[in-house]
This record gives sequence, C-alpha cells and structure tokens, in this order.
Amino acid sequence: MSATTLRRPALPSSGAKLVNVLKANRSARIMSWISLLVAWQLATLVIPSELIPPPAQVLEFMWNEVRAVTVAPETLYMSFGLSFERLGVGLAIAFAIGTPIGLAMGMYKPVEHFLHDFVVVGLAMPSLVWALVAGMWFGFGNLAPVITVTLAAVTFVVINIAEGVRNVPKELLDMSAAYGVSRWRTIRHVIFPSLMPFFFAALRYGFANAWKGLVLAEVWASTSGAGWVIKFWYDAHRSQGIVGYALFFILVAILIERLVFGRLSNYVFRWRATTSREIPEPASEAPAKEGA
Amino acid sequence: MATNAVESPDASSSPQESDEKAQLNAQLRQQQRAERRSRWFWRISGYVFFFGLWQFASSFLVADFIVPPPLAILEKMRDIIVSGEVWVHFGATLSTIAIGFTVAYVLGAALGMLIGRSRWWESFFGDWVMATLTTPGLVFALLTAMVFGLGQLGPIVAVIITSISYVTVNVVEGVKAMPEDLVSMARAYRRSRWQIVRHVFIPFLAPFFFTAVRYGFSIAWKIATLTEVIVGTAGIGFMMRREFQSFSMTGFLAWVLLFFAFALFLERVVLQRQMKRVLKWRPEVAK
Repeated sequence: MSATTLRRPALPSSGAKLVNVLKANRSARIMSWISLLVAWQLATLVIPSELIPPPAQVLEFMWNEVRAVTVAPETLYMSFGLSFERLGVGLAIAFAIGTPIGLAMGMYKPVEHFLHDFVVVGLAMPSLVWALVAGMWFGFGNLAPVITVTLAAVTFVVINIAEGVRNVPKELLDMSAAYGVSRWRTIRHVIFPSLMPFFFAALRYGFANAWKGLVLAEVWASTSGAGWVIKFWYDAHRSQGIVGYALFFILVAILIERLVFGRLSNYVFRWRATTSREIPEPASEAPAKEGA
Repeated sequence: MATNAVESPDASSSPQESDEKAQLNAQLRQQQRAERRSRWFWRISGYVFFFGLWQFASSFLVADFIVPPPLAILEKMRDIIVSGEVWVHFGATLSTIAIGFTVAYVLGAALGMLIGRSRWWESFFGDWVMATLTTPGLVFALLTAMVFGLGQLGPIVAVIITSISYVTVNVVEGVKAMPEDLVSMARAYRRSRWQIVRHVFIPFLAPFFFTAVRYGFSIAWKIATLTEVIVGTAGIGFMMRREFQSFSMTGFLAWVLLFFAFALFLERVVLQRQMKRVLKWRPEVAK
C-alpha cells in the first residue's frame, strides 16, 4: 500500500509492469477523475431525470462557455474577470487597513486587548452575513461586493500580521543592533523575511474567505460577476449550466491553489531549506516525510 | 529528594530563604495583578468604544433602518425567544447540522486514515479534498438545491460534502505525524493489535480528532445556514432570507447574532472544555 511497494524494481513480465503503472501516484489521480465520470454517468442512467445532467451535456456546455458562446448575459471570461477585479480591489483595501492595525496590535499590548475580541468575532463571522449586510447597505452594484471582500479578509490580515510581529526573533534583532546593521537593512533582511510567512498566510486565508464572500455578495447584491452567473443558471433551471459553472469554480480553485500559491510560496520562501518552502497544508504535494 | 537527615541543617536557613522567596512571589503576583488590571481595562474600554460608536452612528449619523441601535436588536432578540420562534428555527438548523456533521465526521475520519496511510489514496482523493476546501460554499448549496429541491435534505447533503474535507485534512495530519518508533516498540514487545490501537493510536490521535470536530463544526454551521437561505423552509438561514428580503436590518441582525453567539459558544466553550478534560494528561496539546 505504502511507498515501499512503489520503489520495488519493475519485474520483467508485462502484467507486473501494468500493476506498477497502476500503482503510480499519477495514475491514481487520473483514475479518480475517470471514476468520478463513470459514477456520474451511471447516476444519470439510474436516475433518469432533468435534475442530474449527463456528463456529455455538461462538457458541451463548458466547451461552449470556453469558446465564449453562451446565452447568459456575460461570457465566462467577463464574469470571472469582473469577479477577480472586485476581489483584487477589496483585498488591496483589506491589506491597506489591516496591516497597520496588525502591526499596532503586535507591538502594543493595550491595542491588542482593545481589539482582540472584536477581531476574533470578525474572524468567525460567516461571509454570508457580510454579504447580506453589505447588500442591504449598498444595494446593487460594485460597492457591496468590494466591501464584502474587504470585511471578509481584513480580520485575517490583522490577526496574521500581529502574530508575525510577535514572532520576529528577538535575538536576531539584538545581534543586528550589536553589529551596527543599518535600520533599513535590518528591516529588509530580518523583519521582512520573518514576517513573510504570516503575510502569506494572511493572503491565502484572506483570499479564500474573501472569494467565498464575494460570490455570495454577487448573488444577492449584484447583477454581474461569476457568482451572479451561476445564480442565473439556477434561476433558469438549467442544470448543466449550474454543474458546468460549479466545475469552473472548482477548476479555478485548483488552479489558484496549485499554480499561484504553490509558485509564489516557492519564490517567497526561497531562503528556506527546500523541504519547508511549502505552506504547511496536508493536502498539498509536499515531499513524503514517512519515507520508504 | 532530600532525606530526613539532610533536612535539619536546611531548616535553620529556611526562614531567610522562604522570606526572600515570599517577597519575590509577592512581587510577581503584584506584577501579574497589574497586568491583569491593564488587560481588563483596555478590553472593557474596547467594548465601550465599539458599542458607543455603534450607538452614536445609529442615533446621529444614519437612519435607524441602516444601523439599528443595539438596544433595538436586544429587544428583538427577546421577542424572538419569548415568542418561541427560536426553538422552531434553531431546532431545524441544529438537526440539519447534527445529522450532516455526524455522517461527515464518520466518513471523513475513515477517509483521513486511508489517505494518511497510503500515498496512492492520497493522490486519488487529493484533488477533491483540496477542491472542496477552496470552492465557495455557494456552489455546493446551489448544486444540492438543484438535486434535492426544497426541504431539509439539501442542506444536510451540503453539510456532508463541505465538512468531510475539513475532518479529513485534520485526521490525515494526525496519522502522518504518528510516531513510528512507538508503534514498532509496541510490536517488539508483542503487544496485541488491539492494545496498540487502544494505547498508542487512539491517545496520539485524540487531539487531532478534536481539532477535526472543531473545524468541521465551524464550517458545518456556516454551510447549513447558507443552504437554508436558498432552499430552507425553516431554520436560521430561512429567517435570515426573510428579514433580508423585507430589508429589516433589526430582525436580520437579531437572528444572526443570536445564532452566531450560540454557535460560537458551542465551538469555543463547550468543545474546548471537553477537549481540555479529555486531554488533561497531555497539557502541551490541551490548548
């Protein structure tokens, strides 16, 4: 089952070769996609109804969307582009507000006690609440989604930056002071690198929460964007539209997780040993620790 | 460690020493007291400031229907509780969470053990676990709404789909961190399989299972209310939608804050306390 069986030298017989190929991790991934498709196809055959669209229909819908052929008011590129634009603006505001607050909280105890409970409550607040409140306050348009993104992300920024400031190694600061390292170089080479993982965590978790909130805000407080388009298909009772868009959402999530955050963390943490560059997350493809 | 014979010369010097110690202790205690006082001072002034700001905003800056005063919300909460509405809707939402989360927990724990022990299954499920962690809950809410229609089944299935991965991820982390040397030692001493499971596996995994409950639960109640907003016929989410559609900020906030306080209480106080009690023997993880 485990890695030990994988590293066994391949036996000459073709049957054993096939077994070895099947045991490779890559084939596991491919097989998981295939088995999902098969299960889905079987489900549509067993439960013949309008509710569950067959895979072929959904794939056709997705292909049309990719070619920008659609009956929805917005093409795939327009809707996701607009959503990411709102996300970017909202996140920028969240970082602009959250970073100074986080710094203050990390450096001064009174500020921390003053704000702590409210930040924790904000952290636990479902983004649905932010979306609906922003919708009631700002009505339909760009403002409500952007504000939702900011509200959903800002507490993550504050808490992570504060934690980061508390984690700057004091010995390193003392040593750079003793060796007369200039202030700018201390910030650049000591404070900045040790704050970086926390900045990164803020970006990642803030991003995830904001993305979820944004989609909700688009459904109830907007008439454009990716969230609104999936709701459009829902209201139009087009099941292939809902499933197709849901798959687009999942693909975008995987893409961001694998490409953007994976690459970015490798770049940002290039000063670390190769094994600890990944943000600790068990579902990622971190090198196996249990060994053979 | 000192035997009785050695203690006697010690006794002569002890008054002085204990005096010093007592002084130090008193100093330390005083410092702690001052710290605690300052903490509570700032904390309370934080509450006063924010609630004051809220009250100020609602009475001077904007209309009541945009930012209702805190007292109006409290009054509304009281009405909700007194009228008994609260039991109907809390009951509906909580039963959804209870059913959905139990199923998700059992499946997620099994899946986590499988993934934690085998690289092959890790690659098999890896994409799906990650995708359900990062995909907006709305997607699953709409999908289950489409398949199951109005009623309670849709929210239950949505809860199962989303909280499985949160449970799985935490259990995987535990299984991967399992100390192999302890297991091999137990094997070397010919402990039975059951004894290994009972005395090595379970005690080691307990904190991870608890974390899985907390994370899973915190996502379960959020997705349950979200799905209820779309297809619920009763429950907190259903009430949230009703208040939202009638633009009643007071009612909306009253329902939200009532349930939010309740969920936070369950998550932070009840679960945490249970965890502390069960993990008393391992103070380093019973945080």
